[in-house]
Amino acid sequence: MKRRELFTGLGPSVCRPEVRRMARLIPNARFRTQDDKEVRFYDDLIKGRQVMVMMMYANCETFCPLATQRMVELHHQALARRMGKDLFMVNISLKPHEDTPAALKAYAQMHKALLPGWTFLTGDQYDVDTLRYTFFSHEHIGIDLDADQHAGSMKIINDKTGRWFHADVFASNRTVLDHIQWSDTPKSLAERLKDNQKLQQQIDRERALYGYRKIA
Amino acid sequence: MSQLKAGEDQRDTDEAREAGEAQSFRIDRRTLVKSGVIAGAAAVITSKKTAVFAQGYPEPPPPPEPPLSCDPRPANSPPTTPFVDDLPIPQPAFPTILNPAPTKFANIAAGEAARDAHQAWDRFPPSVFYQAVAAPSLHRFHRDLQPTYLWTFNGQYPGQTFLGYYGVPALVRFRNNLPIDHPVPGINEITIHLHNGHTPSESDGFAGDFFGTGLWKDNHYPNVYAGVDEYGGIGDPREAMRSFWYHDHRAEFTAPNNYLGLNGSYILYDQKDPGHELYAPGSLRLPSYYGLTDIPLQLHAILFCPTANGRNEAFITGAVPGQVDKWIVNGKIQPKLTVRRRKYRFRVLNTGPVKEWNISLIGSDGQQKPMTVVAVDANFVEEPFEITNRTLNIPVASRYDIIIDFSQFAAGTSVYLREAQPQFVGVPTPDPAPGLPIENVLMRFDVVPREPWFPPDTPPIPDHLIDMPPPIVPDNTFEWRFTRDGSPVRFRINGQVFDHNRVDHVVLKGSSEEWVLANDVIAGNWTHPVHIHFEEGRIISRTHTTRDANGEIVSVDNVPLLPEELGRRDIYRLPPQDRLVIRLRFRDFVGRYLIHCHNMNHEDDFMMVRWDIVDSVEELTRRRREIDERRMLAGLPPQYANGNKKGRLV
Ligand SMILES: [Cu+2]
Repeated sequence: MKRRELFTGLGPSVCRPEVRRMARLIPNARFRTQDDKEVRFYDDLIKGRQVMVMMMYANCETFCPLATQRMVELHHQALARRMGKDLFMVNISLKPHEDTPAALKAYAQMHKALLPGWTFLTGDQYDVDTLRYTFFSHEHIGIDLDADQHAGSMKIINDKTGRWFHADVFASNRTVLDHIQWSDTPKSLAERLKDNQKLQQQIDRERALYGYRKIA
Repeated sequence: MSQLKAGEDQRDTDEAREAGEAQSFRIDRRTLVKSGVIAGAAAVITSKKTAVFAQGYPEPPPPPEPPLSCDPRPANSPPTTPFVDDLPIPQPAFPTILNPAPTKFANIAAGEAARDAHQAWDRFPPSVFYQAVAAPSLHRFHRDLQPTYLWTFNGQYPGQTFLGYYGVPALVRFRNNLPIDHPVPGINEITIHLHNGHTPSESDGFAGDFFGTGLWKDNHYPNVYAGVDEYGGIGDPREAMRSFWYHDHRAEFTAPNNYLGLNGSYILYDQKDPGHELYAPGSLRLPSYYGLTDIPLQLHAILFCPTANGRNEAFITGAVPGQVDKWIVNGKIQPKLTVRRRKYRFRVLNTGPVKEWNISLIGSDGQQKPMTVVAVDANFVEEPFEITNRTLNIPVASRYDIIIDFSQFAAGTSVYLREAQPQFVGVPTPDPAPGLPIENVLMRFDVVPREPWFPPDTPPIPDHLIDMPPPIVPDNTFEWRFTRDGSPVRFRINGQVFDHNRVDHVVLKGSSEEWVLANDVIAGNWTHPVHIHFEEGRIISRTHTTRDANGEIVSVDNVPLLPEELGRRDIYRLPPQDRLVIRLRFRDFVGRYLIHCHNMNHEDDFMMVRWDIVDSVEELTRRRREIDERRMLAGLPPQYANGNKKGRLV
C-alpha cells in the first residue's frame, strides 16, 4: 500500500480547523474484521463516532484477556445501552501475521466478546504499528517498541469533537466510565446544568456515607 | 470583563436611584457593605438584569474566528526582529462585585460547579472578590507576527496578576466561557489551581474537579500563613509565601490548556514585603512597586505557524505541545525593557508546559553579571545568593524572585537575559554582546538614568531575609517512586497511574512526614519536576545512584544541595536515579490534594497521585486500612504496617 493512502487528510490543509488535524493523524488503512470483512480504519470505524480503541493479540496470555474480560464486564454492567449505537469498541491485533480473522473470532468467542459495537481487526503489520504509535506513544517513540506493553491502555476517540482520551482499563469501573463520559459529545447547557446538580447530590451523598469524597 | 460587569451593576444602581427607590437601596447597600458582604449588595440592588442572570448563565459570547490548521508542522516559526516590542506588564486584577453573591455551599441553581462546601468560609470569610473568565482571545506575540488564537483569562495573556494581602481572604470566580465546539486540542473544561497556595481542598483545583462551558466556580483563597491551628490568627508569618501562579489543572489536558494561555500570576504581600519601598516597621524594603520596580517575567515557548486567514497560530501536535522555537517573556518574543540605574525585582515564572529554562545575565561586554536570588518557589531564602558563574535552572512551574542592580551598568548600555538553549530568530542579527548569539537572548534591558519622578533605589538587600520555621520532626515516612514502566508502559508513581477516584496515601492534619521522592525510571532519561500541593517542603538530602550496565548499584553518592534547594520549595527537581528526602507538614485544612510531575506532558500522561488529609486518628486508621485492603485485593503488599497507628511505611 502506498504510504500516502494511509492518511485521511486530503485536499488543501489550510482550510481545516485545527481539530481536524487530529482526525488526519488517524491512518485510513485497510483492515479485516473478525468476520473477514474488509474495512477502512478511519472511514468505516472512526469517522463521526465515539470509539474505544485497544490493542491485543489472540495468543496473548497476560494482559489482553484480562483487559478484554474487563471491558466485556463493563459492557454488560453499564455500556450495553450505548454499544453499537453511539459507542463502539475496536480491538486491533498487535500480531496481524498470526491473527487471521478466524483466530480473532475464536478469541472473541472465547471471551464472549462478540457483542454489538465490537470489532476485532487484523491487517498489515506496518499499519498496525502506525496506529499503535499514533494512539499510544505520544512523543515517546522509541521506548515503546515492546508490542506487549500496550494491552490495558485504551484510547477513547470522539471524532465528532476531535477529542482523544486515555484510560487504564484496570482502573475502577467508576473511573473507566468517567473517562468514557468525558469523551462524550458535549450536551446542551441545560442538560449539563442538570448533570451538575446530580454531581452535587452525589458529592453530598458520599459525604454522608463515607465522610469524604470517595469517588470523583 | 470584570470591570464591565461591575459597571453594569453600577448603572443598574443609578437607574434604580433615578426611579425614586434610592432611600431603601442606600440603606441596604450601606448595611451590607459594612457587614463585609459587598457582593450581597449587588444581588439586592440590581434589578431586572440580575433576575435573568441569576437563573443561569447565558450561552457564551461568540468567540473570535477559530484557528485554521497549518499542517504540516513548519520547520520553524516565522522570523521576528529582536527587541522591537516593549516588555508587557500583566495588568493587576481589579476587585469586583460578584453577582450572584458567593456562597459557602455551591450555588448550583445559578450554575456554579458542584463542590464541597468551603471549609474555611466561616473562619476566613472572603472580603475581596474577583472574576476571571476563561475565553478565547487573540494575542499578538510580536510586531512581525499576526495575531494568535489563545485561551486566556479576561482576554489577556498573560492573565491578570492578583495582588493580595495576608489576612485579607479573597475569592475568585472562575467562569468558563470557552467554546463548546472548540477547534484546538485543549479541552473546554477547567479546574484552576493556585500553585503553592495554602488552599482548602475544594478550591485547590483538583484535577478531577473540572467544569465545562457555561458553568463557573468560586475558589476561596483564605490568604493565611500555614499554621493557623497552631498559632491562631492568620497563622505563622514565617510560613509566608509570595509569588504564586494560577493555572488550569484539568486531568489529561493541563499541557495544551496551559500552552494556550490559561495561567497568570498571584502575589501576596505582608508586613515584611508590603508592596511598597518606603520605610515601614519590619519591611525588608526590596524593590516592590508592581509593574515599576517589581515585574513578573512569565516564560513560555511556542512554535508558530502561518495560516491561510492571516494568523500565526500556536502549533500543537496531537494533544501534547511538541517542539517549540520561540522564547516568550510576558507574551512577547525578545522584548525590551527600559530600566533605571537602580535595583529591580523580577519574579521569574516558568509556565511550562515542558521546557526548563537556564537563565543568566550578560552585560554588553559579554561577561556574566550578578543577579541575586531572594526567593525560591515563592519563599524568601534565609540568605540571598548571587548567580555569577552558572545559570539559574528553572524547572516547570518554579518561581525565582531575582534582584538585578542596574546601577552597576552605565546609562546607555544594554544588558541581556540569556537562555542556554538557542531559539529560532530568523532575522540576521549581529551578536548583541561578544560571545552572545541573538538566539540565546530572552530579552534586553536598556539602562537609563533615573528620572526625578522615578522611585529612588531601595537600601542594600539585607544579608538575612527571614527566620525559617522550626525544623520539621517527622511522625512518619513515605516513599514516592517515579517510574516509567509497567504494563502498559506509562509514567507512574508507586507503580500506579493517575485515577482521580483512587487515594494512594492518607495523612493526618497537624502531622508531619518525611517523604522520599525517588526517580527510578529505568527506560529513558527523564527528569521530573515534582510538585506537591498545599504544603511547602524542606529538602533534607539528595543522593544519586550509579548503576553498571546490568543495573547493579555501583555507588550511592550524596549530592550537595544547591543554594536554591536549602530553603522551602514546592517544586523538587528529580533527575534520573536521584532520591530526595524532604519533610513537610500538613496543617489547617483537609481534603484531596495531589502530588505529580509538573512536566505537564508527564502529568497528562498520568504521573499524578491523589493523597488526602484527614481530621482524626480514627479516620486516618480507617482510611489507611481501606488503602491496604484495596492493595491486597490487587495483589500488592500493604503500605502501612499492621498495628502501627501512625502508619510507618513497612
Ligand atoms: Cu516527569
